[in-house]
Amino acid sequence: MNTRDTSAFATQLFVSVLLMLGVGGGLGFSIVDLRQRISVSANNARILDQKTAEAGRRLAELGGSVAAEQSPEVLQRRNQSLALGLGLPREAQVVRVGVSAGERLAAKRNAEIFQSEHGLVSIPVHFNLGGAPR
Amino acid sequence: MTARGFATNIRLGLVAGLVLLGFGVLAARLVQLHVVDREHYLAQIQNSRHDIVSVIARRGDIYDTRRDILATSQTEITLAVDPWAVSKKIEFQRTPAQRERLAAKEREKRAKLASELGISVVEIEAFFTPTWRDLPVAQDTRDEAADGRVRVEWKKLREGVSEEAFARIEAMHVTGLTADRSYRRVYPHNELAAHLIGFLNKEGAASGGVESFADLYLSGHDGWREVERDARRTELAQFRNREVAPSDGWGVVLSIDTAIQHIIEQELAFIVSSFKPGKATIIVSDARSGFLLGLANYPTFNLNAYGDAPLDVQRNIAATDLIEPGSTFKIVAASGALNEGLVTPSTKFDCTLASILYQGRERKFMRDDHHFDHALAVSEIISHSSNNGAAQLAMRLGDRRFYDYARAFGFGERTGFPIGHEEPGMLADPAKWSVPDITRIPAGYSVAATPLQVHYAMSSIASGGSLMRPQLIRQILDAQGEVVYSFKPAARRVVIAPATAESMAAMLQKVASEEGTAKVAAIPGFEVAGKTGTAQKLIGGRYSERNHVGSFVGFFPASRPRVVITVVVDDGHPADGRIAYGATVAAPSFRKIAEQLIQYLDIKPVASPLPVPIAGKLLAHNKGARP
Repeated sequence: MNTRDTSAFATQLFVSVLLMLGVGGGLGFSIVDLRQRISVSANNARILDQKTAEAGRRLAELGGSVAAEQSPEVLQRRNQSLALGLGLPREAQVVRVGVSAGERLAAKRNAEIFQSEHGLVSIPVHFNLGGAPR
Repeated sequence: MTARGFATNIRLGLVAGLVLLGFGVLAARLVQLHVVDREHYLAQIQNSRHDIVSVIARRGDIYDTRRDILATSQTEITLAVDPWAVSKKIEFQRTPAQRERLAAKEREKRAKLASELGISVVEIEAFFTPTWRDLPVAQDTRDEAADGRVRVEWKKLREGVSEEAFARIEAMHVTGLTADRSYRRVYPHNELAAHLIGFLNKEGAASGGVESFADLYLSGHDGWREVERDARRTELAQFRNREVAPSDGWGVVLSIDTAIQHIIEQELAFIVSSFKPGKATIIVSDARSGFLLGLANYPTFNLNAYGDAPLDVQRNIAATDLIEPGSTFKIVAASGALNEGLVTPSTKFDCTLASILYQGRERKFMRDDHHFDHALAVSEIISHSSNNGAAQLAMRLGDRRFYDYARAFGFGERTGFPIGHEEPGMLADPAKWSVPDITRIPAGYSVAATPLQVHYAMSSIASGGSLMRPQLIRQILDAQGEVVYSFKPAARRVVIAPATAESMAAMLQKVASEEGTAKVAAIPGFEVAGKTGTAQKLIGGRYSERNHVGSFVGFFPASRPRVVITVVVDDGHPADGRIAYGATVAAPSFRKIAEQLIQYLDIKPVASPLPVPIAGKLLAHNKGARP
């Protein structure tokens, strides 16, 4: 190709300009697409952020509700309304045994030895279930 | 052959000219936009797109010692209505039929909203009816017509809507309904430990209790971000330029236990129903560390309805109100005299004397409730609560030393309790004492103290002689719940020697025995040690015969104390018309609380020697061989 010919040079220039426009346009579209993707990603991140915050809010609300339901006053009211009879025994309801558990078991296992001597065959223990009236 | 093709010189020149012209126009426009009109467009963008959003930090939670939530922050939504929004939307419809359809649809949505909010359709329609508000013409700049009236575009519909309810309302897409989200402080246990927790008022300012004291930890720091919005006011997340993240508040773990607090509040309710006192206080603390396990006052209030409670009720009377401690103060003279080696528990005093010569002047003793036919040992002075004996013990110490011991026990100075405006109490310097003061102060008169001071004075005997600092906060947690700081027990000073504390504990045990003033407080096997107190109230400048402050301060088991309990009943009136002695109004409650704490804290009884040496008997029976 005769590059010294003016028309041929102009044709080459024209082709080059078209090529540059094509490349430039493509690049432009790529940038726009990239920005669009960035925008979509940022928006998705924002929505996720909102959802996380909403989950946190719901969790706090739920935590508060659970704490309110576990309040001793509420539990006591439920205990009474459902007649469950649950509650800590009062000291007056507890019979404390003055011997060690080992000694007590030994005495039970060897009842015949102690029966006549100390009467330790059985030590009555009473459990009064359900909170005693005040 | 030379190829000429499409590109003739004229055509090329034309195309080049057009391209250049195009670029020229583009360049000119760009120059106009970016250089000439730059400020104008930037200002427009700034106004319409640019926004600074504040991101509110979440306030930290308050927990009890078992990490049960005592105070937490929840979001709540305030619903409001713009009544003009509906009519504007309807106006945009093209045909009357479309307008009618839209109006009917909106009415249907509003009916659903009314049902969700539990109000009538008439009420909700009233909210959505466009209205005007009159204002001076000079101030009428909100719309284009300066006619002295503006559109009401914001009407509050409902406050405190929960997230769950709001999700349902939001799904209805009611036109003109706006929502504002804010944090609200919630106290799940209502009245429980109200004076210790405090509250956050409508403005978000902490008022009283831990809310106020630990505000620095709890409040956190709000954040902000610079954003841009589109025409629909939706945030364009990709243009978040600058952002400062919020720093959520830290959590505070208290030493109180919800279950123990409930036990004492129940007992307080019983005292109130039985004796109708003006005020009452119960304090429970750990004997060794001084950490508070519970503190309850009457009257009290609901933290979620603090607005209904008068200011007087919001006062933590355990720290702010002064009482004459009465006989509970006798531990000072007895401990001092024992600690100085001036007496032993068996040293006897003639407590029948009417007066005595002290520092060259005759001092008349306060009358004792009981007549004693024999000289009382120091232990009997305590167990029988002799005013006369306490005065003689103080005289053995002398004014100054007795005063110093009273100060050492914490009377006349603030305990350092961080919650509420604590009063220091009143304990005059001996230089200012009147003649009878040396007979009165040892019996707990002419001296004023807060229930908290009385409690921690007794605690110093339970702790082995050290006056502990009252502490309520056990740990600080960061926003993720990790422990940032743990508070340790702190002693303010050593008041008496451990041996003296041991002797005092043994003597105080006799108070809760058959011979003592509070046998009703005794719990077999648990060595209850304590002291009753009954002080006549000073009314109109005279000591009243009918108004008393009855108290019982004690701890158990005496040989290895676990808890200290104080019950103070101010101006109680027993139903049978008896005097509100400490033994009558306070000691029974002490025992009931103690009995429940024994179970809850698994406090073991003090071991007694085995009645029958069973193992030895078995060995003997089997001639040395194990059975």
